Amino acid sequence: MIRFSLRLAVAGGREAVTRLVVIAAAVAVGAGLLLATLAGVNAVNDQLTRFAALYPQSAAAGGAAQPLWWSTREDYFHGEPIVRIDVAATGPASPVPPGLPRTPGAGEYYVSPALQRLLEDTPADQLADRYPGRNAGLIGDVALPSPDSRVLITGGNPADVADLPQARALTSVGDNPPALPETAVDLIMSVIVAGLLFPVLIFIGTATRLNAARREQRFAAMRLVGATPRQISVVAAIEAAAAALAGTAVGFLLFAAFRGSLAGIPFTGDRFFADSISLGALDVLLVAVGVPAGAAAAAALSLHRVRVSPLGISRRTTPRPPRWYRLIPLGLGLAELAFFLVGPMPRTSDGQMAVFVPGLLLVMAGLLVAGPLLTMASARILARRSTGPATLIAARRLADNPKAAFRAISGIMLALFITSVATGVITTIVANRGSAPAGTTGSATVALWAFEGKTLPTGALERVRAVPGVRSVTELRENPDEHADPGLVACAELPAAYGRCAPGATVAQVATDFIPWQAKSADPARVWPASAVPVGELGRLPLESVVVQTDGSAAAIERSRTVLETAFPGFRIAPSVPGDFESDFADTLRGWQQLANVVIVAGLAIAGCSLAVSVIGGLTERKRPFSLLRLSGAPVRVLRRVVALESAVPMLVAAAFAVGMGLLAAQLFLKAQMGYTLEPLSPAFWLIVAAGLVACLAIIASTLPLLERITGPETARSE
Amino acid sequence: MTTLLHAKDVTFSFGSTPALRGANIEVAAGEIVAVMGPSGSGKSTLLHCLAGILVPAGGEIVFDGARIDSLSEARRSQLRRDSFGFVFQFGQLVPELTAAENVALPLMLGGVRRAAALRTAYGRFEGLGLDGLGGRRSGELSGGQAQRVALARAMVSEPRVLFADEPTGALDSVTGEQVMDLLVDTARRQGTTVVLVTHEPRIAAYADREVMVRDGRVTAWEGAVA
Repeated sequence: MIRFSLRLAVAGGREAVTRLVVIAAAVAVGAGLLLATLAGVNAVNDQLTRFAALYPQSAAAGGAAQPLWWSTREDYFHGEPIVRIDVAATGPASPVPPGLPRTPGAGEYYVSPALQRLLEDTPADQLADRYPGRNAGLIGDVALPSPDSRVLITGGNPADVADLPQARALTSVGDNPPALPETAVDLIMSVIVAGLLFPVLIFIGTATRLNAARREQRFAAMRLVGATPRQISVVAAIEAAAAALAGTAVGFLLFAAFRGSLAGIPFTGDRFFADSISLGALDVLLVAVGVPAGAAAAAALSLHRVRVSPLGISRRTTPRPPRWYRLIPLGLGLAELAFFLVGPMPRTSDGQMAVFVPGLLLVMAGLLVAGPLLTMASARILARRSTGPATLIAARRLADNPKAAFRAISGIMLALFITSVATGVITTIVANRGSAPAGTTGSATVALWAFEGKTLPTGALERVRAVPGVRSVTELRENPDEHADPGLVACAELPAAYGRCAPGATVAQVATDFIPWQAKSADPARVWPASAVPVGELGRLPLESVVVQTDGSAAAIERSRTVLETAFPGFRIAPSVPGDFESDFADTLRGWQQLANVVIVAGLAIAGCSLAVSVIGGLTERKRPFSLLRLSGAPVRVLRRVVALESAVPMLVAAAFAVGMGLLAAQLFLKAQMGYTLEPLSPAFWLIVAAGLVACLAIIASTLPLLERITGPETARSE
Repeated sequence: MTTLLHAKDVTFSFGSTPALRGANIEVAAGEIVAVMGPSGSGKSTLLHCLAGILVPAGGEIVFDGARIDSLSEARRSQLRRDSFGFVFQFGQLVPELTAAENVALPLMLGGVRRAAALRTAYGRFEGLGLDGLGGRRSGELSGGQAQRVALARAMVSEPRVLFADEPTGALDSVTGEQVMDLLVDTARRQGTTVVLVTHEPRIAAYADREVMVRDGRVTAWEGAVA
């Protein structure tokens, strides 16, 4: 039966072979994208795991263990993080940090290639002086999250490193990274994967149904000579599986060819190592077996909608229109998200993600279930309001089978929804927690705090004051009043750029860096409350922080930071510009935004291809009535409008609905989790959406010449 | 009677296969002419040339005193829309539209508003025995009903010439005769000229005159009409 089916599949001459080639090509593109998506997911997971490995957990020490002391801290340069790891071996049996030939001794350090380049390009007093000692070489890729990672591993004496913040004694390295927040990561990845995979699967499914009408005619002829319906199903399945198998094989080749380029796309904000873009055995199996099997199942299932009798094909009556209950999952998803506006909120971030992302997945599923209903409703409105024949035909076709019409655009809907949620959330968080606006005093301030009872060595502040561009250096003392701002400063020493004391005060209670929590920047008009601590007592209180006001130049900021770090190498938190952390966080979010952009661009491109295949299928189905209409004098432009409206109307309606739902979901999340109100999205987002939709419309337009060709007079004669 | 449609020495080939080898025919206004001939004789090609669907390689097609074979595709399409009607063997109805909307379609294509076009279309239903079928789709109509809807659609804009290519080819004899009765009645009532391609003598008998096409030539042409 298999051999017979395969012979039949190619026995139809050039047209049959062309159809198989087109299906195989479409499946190849789909399978290639599927593999790229799976490999991309693996790469993101690998990057996160590599990043987590920079912060290892202590392992239970064995009896004869000579642990490696390890302390990871973060430093900043121009707002970008540098991971600094201090290590010290306690004996020859101490484990060696991954990526290094040996553990660096005191006064030696290894750097990542990206940091090495930065060190070479930057004056030493702005960066390299922070790392006194000998540069012993480069850290191997195995220890880095990304080729762009800036990492330094520096050696020290065991006693010094053991005394550093976050110090851990490790008896083995590389096998004890902290657990990733699996729930959150998995759930986020599942949303992204759904956004990318769904359009791919739809595309493959649409491609295998290409030219179904012609195929069904052939099946009718087979029924006439005695083939049973079961045999017909088997033939259809084998034919589709054969084309899909060939397409899948080519998909693997395409993936192999573009794997290197994929690693260079920084879709999390950082590039990937080429070997991170990898596939597991399960991934390979899933695609190699799943795609052909899925194509076979889709082909067999598609025959259920037609009755192939010996006398020809009859489609089952117009499918039942979608009912209102299709709105239930969407409503439930939105209700779940809205519930946390009033209901109890999980305390941990993981817990919050664990309730938010399933709600999001439910809304996504709800959109797919409600999509046909939406398509039908918009088509009916269009039909009622139509005055021209093109609009009427298009609207009727959409209303007749909204499920089929929606199938081709469902990928667009999902991609736009995910991107809208991501962009809405990210834009709002970045707007609320971003770094201080450029040019403000806040962005020109460097602060060092968390002294934990220690002090700066004598002369350190003078060295900072000597840095060109530094305007003031202020020491703040710890405020014994735990319910007020944590710093105290003598009013005589309070720089005017950061505010002034309350009338009559000699000592003011101030923020650690003179910028209150959640304030955007310093304010000279800010009035700091008075403290009861006498000015003469200040010197006896522990050091709270050192605040350096610069002229805002990058050189002054980085030189000040370098002097402070050199003076206080045991810092817990590196000297930072207010907003460094926020800017780092915002950068991470921008990485996710990048990923969201990939989802939208890839999703729209794939969905555009599905639309094109679907349009071609629709044209082939209606070749005869369309060509006879043309013979009767109907202008081609009317038929073109029919095709364009049939694709464009549901696409644009779905796009608008998806973006609206996405922004609503984002607002519900932001309000419930963070108390923020959705900020207006950037023009770049709207530009990407518009460009994506225009690209889809262009793909649809590219199929229109086919309309002219297949509805020529010859069609009417030969059909 | 005056000549409305005239083919002069028309030649046409499909690739290297000649279909018409100097065909001549004149059709008078209001006349019903049956074009007969065996399969592959060129009768459908002749109809398509007369209707401006195909452009002959040689010779002339004259409609109402003006050559149409030298017109652009757009002008010929407009001519077909405004002055000609067509009935084919099957599959000419747009499946998404109801029977009434299919009939209204040529009017809408001509710029008539939907409501007015539908009113006119429904007005055609009575005489064609299609009462109550206006809301049905093509898939819900029998073969005879679908052909009557197709006839209504072809005649709704009151064309000067109706081209019918094997209009009963897919129908049983009784239904075919019913359709032909309606076709001839409507054409007579509206004064429409009919060019009817058929290979069935029974159907050709409805015509005022029969011509035979053999090997790409009109062999039984009876000469110019008076």
